Amino acid sequence: MHIMEGFLPLQWALAWWLVAAPCLIFGIYRLKRILEANREALPLLGVTGGFIFILSSLKLPSVTGSCSHPTGTGLSSVCFGPWITSLICAIVLLFQSLFLAHGGLSVLGANIVSMGIVGPLAGWGIYRALRDTGVSMYLTVFLACTIADLCTYIVTSLELALAYPAEVGGFATSFALFMGIFALTQIPLAIVEGVVLALVFKYIVQLKPEILVRLKVFPEDRIRAAGSDS
Amino acid sequence: MAFRYRLEIIAVVAVVCFCGLFLYTSSLMSDAGYAGSDTVGSARVAELAGVSAEDFRPLVPQWEPPSGEIESGLFALQAAVGGIFVGWVFGYWKGQKNRSS
Repeated sequence: MHIMEGFLPLQWALAWWLVAAPCLIFGIYRLKRILEANREALPLLGVTGGFIFILSSLKLPSVTGSCSHPTGTGLSSVCFGPWITSLICAIVLLFQSLFLAHGGLSVLGANIVSMGIVGPLAGWGIYRALRDTGVSMYLTVFLACTIADLCTYIVTSLELALAYPAEVGGFATSFALFMGIFALTQIPLAIVEGVVLALVFKYIVQLKPEILVRLKVFPEDRIRAAGSDS
Repeated sequence: MAFRYRLEIIAVVAVVCFCGLFLYTSSLMSDAGYAGSDTVGSARVAELAGVSAEDFRPLVPQWEPPSGEIESGLFALQAAVGGIFVGWVFGYWKGQKNRSS
């Protein structure tokens, strides 16, 4: 999902930075609030952030004959909401643009918007819609993670299509082209990511249900029921 | 409640299916280079812009890993940092749980 350095014209790079910056500031504010109320949340932040580090470094081959990587943002988004997730993503993406030449400082804003903001926001939306329905917790986490991953790549396609509309057909043609490269490759990866993170969520429920109850991730009775199941 | 390891089994089946699908499609596509989708996407950008990919200059000067080996080493480092966090916290929670029970 990285847009490479120099591949966005200056005005677009700046525009995406303008979208990303307030979200990051709000993320810092949210993180401060949550940690002040709950020091216990810090290890959970370590786990969810750790998975973003791990999964976003794994480049996996996919069915379209190219490689791509999962994002790992869904779990953090379910536990802490999208804004804190943006902040962790910004750290990961900064590391990758400084040391790995994946993305770059001018396009960092655009990459934060796709991986750190819209993806997690979409996953969080799914989670909020399903949280208080009868849908299983693990299925909810699975869907949130899969959707967060897929939306990240859809937004990357959108960002590139906006900056580079095709001569024939304009924006729509470009968007379809980039969707074919990014989103299609991503579908199997997103499903595997969702399953793996749902499994991780199960282990958190078993080991530390208190913290999920405290953060009100799911209704208490459901977390307790699932936690005592093991 | 259903079988205890249901989710684990689903995860294993999903990963095995993913590998199987990959092996099957890669045997069909002999010309697939398995380049990163970022690289493929950038090549399309160059086509749309009507210039070659080398003509895109970084807007902000950028350090590049001198070789693919170094790049994969740094990616491994990133994954290791994440793995250390995850392992440390799960171990910490496990210890806390064993103590209290």
